[in-house]
Amino acid sequence: MSDDALGYEQARDELVEVVRRLEAGGATLEESLALWERGEQLAAICQQWLDGARARLAAAAGGAGTESASAG
Amino acid sequence: MPVETSAEQPVPVRTAARLIGEWVARLGRVWVEGQVAQLSRRPGSGTAFLTLRDPVADVSLSVVCPRAVLDACVPPLVEGARVVVHGKPDFYLARGTLSLSALEIRPVGLGELLARLERLKAMLAAEGLFETSRKRPLPFLPRVVGLVCGRGSAAEHDVLENARLRWPAVQFRVENVAVQGVYAVTEVADALARLDKDPDVDVIVVTRGGGSVEDLLPFSDEALVRAVAGCRTPVVSAIGHEQDAPLLDLVADVRASTPTDAARRVVPDVREETARLSQARERLHRAVGSLVGHEQQRLDFLRSRPVLADPAAGIVAPRETEVRALVERSRRSLQHRLDRAADELVHTTARVRALSPAATLERGYAVVQRADGAVVRSPTEVAAGESLRVRLAEGELAATVD
Repeated sequence: MSDDALGYEQARDELVEVVRRLEAGGATLEESLALWERGEQLAAICQQWLDGARARLAAAAGGAGTESASAG
Repeated sequence: MPVETSAEQPVPVRTAARLIGEWVARLGRVWVEGQVAQLSRRPGSGTAFLTLRDPVADVSLSVVCPRAVLDACVPPLVEGARVVVHGKPDFYLARGTLSLSALEIRPVGLGELLARLERLKAMLAAEGLFETSRKRPLPFLPRVVGLVCGRGSAAEHDVLENARLRWPAVQFRVENVAVQGVYAVTEVADALARLDKDPDVDVIVVTRGGGSVEDLLPFSDEALVRAVAGCRTPVVSAIGHEQDAPLLDLVADVRASTPTDAARRVVPDVREETARLSQARERLHRAVGSLVGHEQQRLDFLRSRPVLADPAAGIVAPRETEVRALVERSRRSLQHRLDRAADELVHTTARVRALSPAATLERGYAVVQRADGAVVRSPTEVAAGESLRVRLAEGELAATVD
């Protein structure tokens, strides 16, 4: 699955798993660095989702404001 | 007809009329019940004419009534009254019209009407027409509201006005009909049928203001009650009445107490609904907002974990420490080996020293060697005149064999 198709929960769950593996240790340095990079990527995807959700909320709130203004 | 006629042998009009009249006269007397649709008394005339109408079907009979018969009526006959007429079908030759010649007219009393109403009510109830399970719910927001009411009536005004106050965009299809009198049942039923057929009409209101028991009789008519029961569209009744509810109230899907109440029931209040809507919207917004906030916290928590927040410390540093420790260990172990080697060297030197002849020479011994370096151990090994070297503790000297 490409990262673009990754939903928020999928990204978050994978991030949790990455952190768990990093914290558990046992991986090679190269693996650890790869895991860390993946973790950063996943965190960025999650943040993107949350920012998008906030933007949509703000847009909806703005739209509701004009609607009720024209109806009233 | 007991007369043979043909195109060649027709009978004159008078004969035909006389024959019809004789035929009609043989019908004998009948008791007929109906409603007085029209009553005309001609001053000075000994006869009055009235039109007797069927309250349900569009059928009428003319009644010719001698003055005496009319005057005998108690209470005096008025238009709209229910009557039972005892009469004789009569064919009026001069005009070729059929009428009922009244011998007696009995107004149907209010008590009788109410008793009949009770019987009808019991019968329709037994049929299940008033069952709660038959009641259909009204639509939340009807596209078109059908309204059956009297022309220009206060009831019409009340319904329209109050419905528009609540929901300005409400649409009505108004059917103005007679709401009392002889035509009321058929007109109301027809209007109902027209509105019921209209696919845009989502609810029908039948309304009229209050009136006497007689005025409201059409709204208890069996035909009308059945028409309402057969409607596909939900029907709201809003008939003003003081005591006895007309049967329409029982069969309607919703019974409104007044026309204003009917308006309240068929359309929602736009302000109330707008307020509810914005409330729901606000809750929606809050719910999603808190969800996003919660997820943000989770994400922040994950990102703040040392392995992600400071990978240098989390990933690299432990390894650095490890490497440093290893270097330290390797250095230590090398040092150890060097020390051991040095110790060994001292030891070995001491042993070497202990094994050397130097100590023996110190005690005064000497080593005699020939010129080629061979150690002399026996006098036979040398010849006279041979040069020898004598090694002492603190140097050497040369000697010659005697």
